[in-house]
Amino acid sequence: MNQEENISDATDLNIRLWQRFKAGDAEALGQLAQTHYRALYNYATKFSSDPDFIRDSIQELYLELWERRSFLSETAFVKSYLLKALRHKLIKESIRLKRFHEPQVAFFDADPSDPSIETNIIEAEHIRFQNGHLKRIISLLSKRQQEIIYLRFYQNLDNEDIASVMGLGRQSVSNLLYRTLKEIKEIWAPAEFFWLLIVFFC
Amino acid sequence: MSLHRIFTVEELATDESFRSWVMAPTPELDRYWQQWLQQNADRAGVAARARELVLAVHDIYKDDLSEDMLRYEIAEITRMAEERKGEGAVPFYQRAVWRAAAVLLLTGGLSWFYYTTHNAIPPSGNRQEITLGGEMVVRTNATEVEMTVLLSDNSVATLAKGSSIRYPRQFAAHERRVYLTGEAFFDVAKNPEQPFVVYAHETVTKVLGTSFRIKAFEGDNIEMVAVKTGRVSVYAKKEYETSHGTKPAGVILNPNQQVVFNRKDNKLEKAVTANPGLLAESVVQKDQVFDDKPVAEVLDAMARAYGISIVYQPETLANCVISAQFNEENLKQRLNAICQAIGAGYDMENGRVVISSKGCN
Repeated sequence: MNQEENISDATDLNIRLWQRFKAGDAEALGQLAQTHYRALYNYATKFSSDPDFIRDSIQELYLELWERRSFLSETAFVKSYLLKALRHKLIKESIRLKRFHEPQVAFFDADPSDPSIETNIIEAEHIRFQNGHLKRIISLLSKRQQEIIYLRFYQNLDNEDIASVMGLGRQSVSNLLYRTLKEIKEIWAPAEFFWLLIVFFC
Repeated sequence: MSLHRIFTVEELATDESFRSWVMAPTPELDRYWQQWLQQNADRAGVAARARELVLAVHDIYKDDLSEDMLRYEIAEITRMAEERKGEGAVPFYQRAVWRAAAVLLLTGGLSWFYYTTHNAIPPSGNRQEITLGGEMVVRTNATEVEMTVLLSDNSVATLAKGSSIRYPRQFAAHERRVYLTGEAFFDVAKNPEQPFVVYAHETVTKVLGTSFRIKAFEGDNIEMVAVKTGRVSVYAKKEYETSHGTKPAGVILNPNQQVVFNRKDNKLEKAVTANPGLLAESVVQKDQVFDDKPVAEVLDAMARAYGISIVYQPETLANCVISAQFNEENLKQRLNAICQAIGAGYDMENGRVVISSKGCN
């Protein structure tokens, strides 16, 4: 099938690219960096609103990999490893910089409290029958829940990768994801089924 | 089409093909998923929810990274990696730390250790130098015609289509270094104290002040340097970079000579330039005739012909009138001629030509 051909092409390219990277070809690093740059940039915007800080952090991440290129294996450039390394870097740096540069609260930061959507239940009742409400439901989730939804449905990582990126156990991820989806479903009436609900409640 | 036996919103919303269809549909995807919906009519609600979920998540978490910015950042990472290549001599204890860190990173455990260790290592001198080196500018010629790029040392690069050049806004004191992908004609301002060095994929060309053309497209098997005026040294990049202070073995070219670097056997071959067209700044000759014209008008015409901006003070130049005829002259030669005629000078600043004049009587 077409898709399979593409995959094997990509693998061949990666092997050559990898050899060039190992041999110290800076252009090869550039190409490797290009693969997941967008994903990393997007993830970083959830931790910081400063584009310069984000760009510097990603640059530093790749240059660190470059300096250690003789010891690395290909897995260092796997998306979930890169996301994880960047997450560490951003959290560590923004904690250091926070009181000076980052007055506003980021999407997902190292917030230890984890209030459930239940605490916002009254607002949840309000938005139940509004248009575009799924976005608002998600915005009511706790930061950890939002991050898990983001990693699952924006970055399209599986549970194991999410566990690795967020530094959680696989079971915790699976529980948290299950609970979050359940909470969303409880108040989410998709537009197409709106009339059904109205009939049901009348 | 039993490929997608899907039962939950989550399964559908994380299916790559479904996601592509939702976010960037193609006729092919459209056909497939419309058919899927027909065959799985009972899943219509699930599909609608999955679609809404994917769209909502992408809308909430979208960013503002433009294509240009992405290209620029990748070029920056490549450039800085190139600059840090020389950092070979890592003390043993640091290497051990790196290795440990790499293992920890790979096993995915205790990675905080790596970050704390890493940050304890003071930044090397090399790194400092890079940040002082100044902001890099990347110009890519995506048009069908040539693009004139003005450098801060009064040198001019004429980029062929599909080519890209990277250079610092201000050059370092000891060297004027630029990076080229593709083809360009360089007219380099003379400065024996500060060599002008062009890095292409496989070759390095070093000059003090001359004009020449480099052709180095990524897909080609050869790279070529042809000289119009002055003397040019060309090196194989590998040799140039491994020479570490000693004089690398290269080829010296005089006017009308060229060298071809063969990527296959890693060799430089010198010859006489057979195609004189290569030695012109522009592929299309820019003929200009000015007969008793106000200099302001002449400069504006030049700016239009080269697609650049030329800044001057209209009041000061109000009384300056010149006659000139240009055929094969380079941009720099034309500017020199005009400035000489009216007793003015010029400088290239921030990608513009700035004319300084005391006026004409």
